[in-house]
Amino acid sequence: MEQFFQQLINGLVLGGIYALIAVGYTMVYGIIQLINFAHGEIFMLGAYIAFTLVTFFPLPIWVAILVGMLFCAGVGMLMDYVAYRPLRNAPRLSALITAIGVSIGLQNLVRMIWGAKPQTFSEESLPAFFRQVSPLVEPTSFFSFLGSSFTENAIQFTENVSLAYLDLTIIILAIILMVGLNRLVTLTKIGKAMRACAQNRVAANLMGIKTNKVIAITFAIGSALGAVAGVMVGVRENINPLMGFHKGVAAFAAAVLGGIGNITGAMVGGLLMGLAEVFGAGYIDSLIGLFFHIIGLGEFYEAEKISHSYGSGYRIAISYIVMIIVILIRPTGLFGKSSAHRA
Amino acid sequence: MRNWLVGLLIVGLLSFWGCQPPDKKTEVSSDKTNTSSEQVKVAVAGPFTGTAAAFGEMIRRGAELKAKQINEAGGINGRELVLAFGDDAGTEKEAKLVATRFATDKQILAVVGHFNSACSIAGKDIYKANGIVELSPGSTNVSVCEGSDWTFRNLYRDDFQGTFIARYISQVLSEYKAVAVLFDNDDYGRGLRDAFTAEAKKINLDVVASVAYDRENTDFSTQLTNIQGKKPDIIFISGLYEQASLIVKQARRLGIKAQFFGADGIDSPDFLKNAGISADGTYLTTPFTFGAGGEEAAKVAAAFEAEFNVPPDTWAALTYDAMGMIAEAIEKTYNREATLAENRKAIRDHLASIDTPEEGFIGITGLTYFDINGDTVNKPAYVKVVIDGKYTTAPEQMLNLDAFK
Repeated sequence: MEQFFQQLINGLVLGGIYALIAVGYTMVYGIIQLINFAHGEIFMLGAYIAFTLVTFFPLPIWVAILVGMLFCAGVGMLMDYVAYRPLRNAPRLSALITAIGVSIGLQNLVRMIWGAKPQTFSEESLPAFFRQVSPLVEPTSFFSFLGSSFTENAIQFTENVSLAYLDLTIIILAIILMVGLNRLVTLTKIGKAMRACAQNRVAANLMGIKTNKVIAITFAIGSALGAVAGVMVGVRENINPLMGFHKGVAAFAAAVLGGIGNITGAMVGGLLMGLAEVFGAGYIDSLIGLFFHIIGLGEFYEAEKISHSYGSGYRIAISYIVMIIVILIRPTGLFGKSSAHRA
Repeated sequence: MRNWLVGLLIVGLLSFWGCQPPDKKTEVSSDKTNTSSEQVKVAVAGPFTGTAAAFGEMIRRGAELKAKQINEAGGINGRELVLAFGDDAGTEKEAKLVATRFATDKQILAVVGHFNSACSIAGKDIYKANGIVELSPGSTNVSVCEGSDWTFRNLYRDDFQGTFIARYISQVLSEYKAVAVLFDNDDYGRGLRDAFTAEAKKINLDVVASVAYDRENTDFSTQLTNIQGKKPDIIFISGLYEQASLIVKQARRLGIKAQFFGADGIDSPDFLKNAGISADGTYLTTPFTFGAGGEEAAKVAAAFEAEFNVPPDTWAALTYDAMGMIAEAIEKTYNREATLAENRKAIRDHLASIDTPEEGFIGITGLTYFDINGDTVNKPAYVKVVIDGKYTTAPEQMLNLDAFK
């Protein structure tokens, strides 16, 4: 049971990250029906900018996240202006191929500037409660509450269930940004304009909405959210030129799962995708073992040591399988509508 | 229209960069293909980019240092030694391309590489078919040299290393009873795991879990959570430094207290750099350590540091020696009048003839000679432990090889 709760926490963190990236895909798709394959690279760029700021200028990570958001918002708008706006009325395939080109280009640009080697945020560049503690010393418990103890860098619920402050921060940031985005789209004027553009760009333009500006802002918002996810993944794991590709593809799948073009769908899709990946990878080996026991080959399974757990090595594939199943049952995704009304 | 053009231009430019290799040095220098008779050319293949790039960096430097020293001493019989580098990115697919390029290059006499076992195995048949020597300074999988007379290596095999680790844990670190294995799902990771678990079974070391991970992955919390449930005292990572550094960090973040043990795959300065404080206390085996090397090794280490401003690691040392062996073979056998195929064959025959300790090549990593497969079986494994962010030679070593026969 402890294991289940720990996996739940792992899944929520990953889901939060996927959700933050997925909304970037979905917002752009909703408004110009373009699958912006370069969005993953924006996410990566955010991580690299923040990494550079905290490493070479010693800026606090919070400032670095803000600068990274602004920078990525700028890159997102620039990307739209340079690569997609000229193709606004071209066949959709042209824009799609351009997006792939921008993606490859940015990936290699980053590789040229920062090198191909994966990099890690150094401990000194992070706030104290994000830092690792030496495995050789017992963590100090600052205070206990309902049987959970709060240590230097994590909440220890039970002996085997813990939530690092870093992961907690990711979950909280994801929730705040998601709620903020939802409010922005539903309550503000620009949100209304975005929804109008999503419904019918030509009509929106005729009503006096500057569609190009709205699209640019959409790119900016999506990119800024992607940048936050990038920095958090960078701190939690590492940064490398391919991180945008790996996490981007999964997040794109999450957006499709939720119904691409639908912001709530992307949020829910991201969360489901994270949970599916973690629980799928976490339990597939037990399921395989159970299967062998059910068909009466339990002893063979134990003896032949097929019980090397291979399943968890294929965690990315597992999340795709979930996506495929959902798409088979509901081709428009969980929240997608079959008509053109998307927002 | 103008916007359109600008957009196209930029996209075009970016994609053009995309076609360029990230590091020009990794490309075979094509301007030198017309090697003059005063030059001899040897290729070096390794992961110069990708997730094992830190190994590639050291391999390149080790080879460059040896070549520089040879050339400063007057070259090989008066001929300049020229190196060609090929980046296999640590993947089988790229390794095959690099192998084909080297094998069909009319100037290249021999290849030092590859590093990753999967890459050495992927290139093996290509080198064999084209009759060119492949001398690996880093591949430890059991099957690397099998089935080819053209593939050699100057370090131990994983069947030895895996057995060694299991015995070291049960004999020296005997307070740890339950072991979990986390393995990289490739030739190296699986081969080492098999050797380890087989020996563990024999000596009653309790393997409580054996879990795979994929090298493309950067989040290991799922696997670690599953392992945590099995309550191991020690976790053996059968994989490479990049993933290992993430694994130890994420394990500590999850509150896992177990000891870590790794193999030569995590022997890289980048493991220490990336894992930071979380690496403390990690044990690992390695085919060579400068701490146990002689005077000659210390001299090379000093020259290396003067040249590249960083201390050399195990792989730089093994590549340095591999390059030395190839250079010696060329020196003894090279015939200007002979054809390329004959010269390549002569190098192979020379290496194959080094099969007794008396004929062995004495390098900084010790004595190297080959058995019938082209494997080196006389080199011991050293144990290092991470203390205060540095590799330190562990107080207890098991250098007596007779115990493993």
